[in-house]
Order: sequence, then C-alpha cells, then structure tokens
Amino acid sequence: MRASEPEVPRPEGGDQYLNGLLARVARGDQAAFEAVYDKLAGPVYGLILRVVRDPAQSEEVSQDVLLEVWRSAARFDPAKGSAATWVMTIAHRRAVDRVRSAAAAAAREQRTAEVPVPQDAVADVVEASLDAERVRRCLDGLTESQRESITLAYYGGYSYRQVGERLGIALSTIKTRIRDGLIRMRDCLGVS
Amino acid sequence: MAPLRGNQHTLTGVYALDALDTDAEVARFERHMARCQSCTSEVRGFRETATQLGMAASSQPPPTLRATVMDEVARTRQLPAPDDGARHRRPAPRLTWLPRLAMAGAAIGLAAAITLGVLLVNTQNELSQTRHQLAQSQTELAAINAVRTASDAILLTKATPIGGTVTVVASASRHQIVVTARGLPVLRAGKVYQLWLIGSNGNKIRSEGLLTLHNGRTGPVLISGVLRGDIFGITVEPPGGTVQPTVKPFIAIRA
Repeated sequence: MRASEPEVPRPEGGDQYLNGLLARVARGDQAAFEAVYDKLAGPVYGLILRVVRDPAQSEEVSQDVLLEVWRSAARFDPAKGSAATWVMTIAHRRAVDRVRSAAAAAAREQRTAEVPVPQDAVADVVEASLDAERVRRCLDGLTESQRESITLAYYGGYSYRQVGERLGIALSTIKTRIRDGLIRMRDCLGVS
Repeated sequence: MAPLRGNQHTLTGVYALDALDTDAEVARFERHMARCQSCTSEVRGFRETATQLGMAASSQPPPTLRATVMDEVARTRQLPAPDDGARHRRPAPRLTWLPRLAMAGAAIGLAAAITLGVLLVNTQNELSQTRHQLAQSQTELAAINAVRTASDAILLTKATPIGGTVTVVASASRHQIVVTARGLPVLRAGKVYQLWLIGSNGNKIRSEGLLTLHNGRTGPVLISGVLRGDIFGITVEPPGGTVQPTVKPFIAIRA
C-alpha cells in the first residue's frame, strides 16, 4: 500500500495538502481535482450564493469558477498565498462581477426585498464548524461600523462607494473602517 | 506625492475585498502595489482573512454541480504554467497561454495565408487591395491577442445543445470579447451562424456578423463595445444572415 501512496498528501492537512493537490491538478490529474472539489466546492458555492443570492445563478458561477481552477491550476503560485485563498479569490471576484452589472443589481435588490436577508448577515451562515465559530467571534470583536462595512463589501458584494451610500458615510471613512477592521480580523484569526 | 501614496495605501482593505468601484481604480491601485512592498503583504494578509470569511459561508452545493464540473473538466484543456518572467510581468505579452485560442489564432493566420495565396494569382493591380486586407487581418489579430492576454481576461467554454463548444474570452477593461467555436455542425441549405450582442436590458440587439466554419472550427471573432452584463448569443439564420434574430440563440453567454 505504502508504495502506491507517495503521491497522496496527508488527508486532513490544510494549506500544504491543498497546495499539493493543486500541483497535481496542474499536471492534469483529475483525481486530484476531485479531491480539491470535495474540499472547496462547498465554500465556493456558499460564498457565491451569499453574494449572488440566486441559487441557479450561483450554481452557474460556481461551475465557471471550479472549471477555472482546473484550467489555470498551473498559474497558482504558493509563494503568493494559500491554495484556498487563490480559489476563494477567484470565486469572490466572479460573484462580484455577476452582481455589479446594473440589471443584475436591480434584480438582486428585488430578491432582497422578497427574501429579507437578516441584519446580521453572518449569523445564519456560520455553522457549527470551529473555524466558522472562530470567524464569528472575531467579527464580534469588531466595532459595529467596521463589521457592517466589511460584511456589506465582502458578503454583499457592494463596492465601497455603495457601502458608503448605504451607510451614509464618507468614502475616506469607509476605506479606513474596512482596513482597520481587516487588520483586527487578521490579528484575531492569527493570519500571518 | 506623499498624500497620494498614503491615499492609495489605505485602499488595501477595499482592494482585498474586491470592493473598488471601477477597473480603472483597480488598475491604479495595482500599479501602486507593484512598487509598494508593504501594500502587497498587507493585501496578502487581508485576502487570507477574507478567505476565512468565505469559508464560513460554506454551503452544500446542488448535487448536479459535481457531475457537470467533472464532465467539463474531462473536456477542457489546461493552461500551461507561466514562465517566471510572465508571472511577474503584467500585462503578460504572451500569445500562448490559451492553447485553444492559440490554435484558433493559428487558424486565422492560416486563413489569411490562404487568402493571400489565392489573391497572389490575381492581377498585379489587386496587390494593393491584398496588402490592405492583410493589414486589416493583422490589425484584428493584434486586437484579438490583446484581449487574450489582457490581465483581466476570463475564459468561458460552453457546450452547445446542437453540438460543439463555444469559447469566449472577455476582457472587462477592454470592453471586448473574442469568440471561437469548434465542432459546430455544418449547416444545410446555405444557413449561417450569426453572432449577436444583446444589451443587459434585453432591448438592444446588435448583429456581430456571421461565424464562418473551417473544418468545424472558426477563427476568432473580435467583438468590441461589450459592457458587463451584455449577453452574447449565436443563432442559426437564413443565407446571408438577418437584421434581427429570427430564432432564440442556441447558446447565450453573459459577458
């Protein structure tokens, strides 16, 4: 058994495990891609759904994102960040692209009106997992305005100008709030 | 200079959350970041932080997604690894990073060459026209390559219900897309594939010309003036094409 397994990374490892998988995906290894899928399809879909809010569109965007991971795995550079961040950054950008067009934004506003999103946008997404709990605790540690700005920008997919308009706050203030909030989040989460 | 720099520096958080308003703002910040080591590392940390926010939103995807993705994966070619120079240079002036389109590019090159060959047997006074056509195809080829290698280029490949695949490379900053198709069925009775650009509100439909097949494959077609949210579609139309689509597009892709 052992001889046939040197290519298989440690099953439960975090960054190293995913980095190794992506390196194999870059060489055209479909089994490795399936493992990446099993690890990240939930986060990718969940994040896109949170931003886009429409399940059918979210599935479509997720499909594009996951295919993009397969297609450009060779462009992932572990020196620039973790594999999960590489994938989730692609997912977030695509989700934001989808909702930023005027028509899409209008349609989304309508959906928002129909299905009210809870004021605390994080409360319902944070599930039992310890990591999510940690994120929630760290968000709780922010000032309310920092938390609002970050949540609207990241989960809401709003531009900082839109965030400013919604909160009635000057652009320069929004910039600072987001940055200060992220610094606090980063330190709380122990991101190096 | 100092205030401007400071100003840009405070955008690290907004940038890391993809919350800048325009592509121009993104480009300006990225130019700044290229010279600002502390911005680069701050953005990196913020992105890792944002990832944890994203992971916390995890949700069970629809069961159909897996099969769809794996099916696409089995049919989708991968990009080669960028060489180290290209990785740090932007926009990377390389023509090879989209193999499928590179092939399509070769196809248009070949088409141009064939055109040239045919035209060369014509009379001398047509030579200037030949030169003109060749220059045009080269200009178009250059524009196509510019889209393919744009730093914000994204590529979508979709299988069509009538067979074959359509690939679109879109660059939001250039407002252009490049379309290629392969494996589309050959049409009978002179019918043609016609390209359309449909405004996001659905009321502005513009013909983008016909798609010519060579052995089931097409050369890349450049479409300009594309806005985010526009829909690109292909229909099958009577010989010569039509002013407005007469049928529903068999494939539609949102830019």
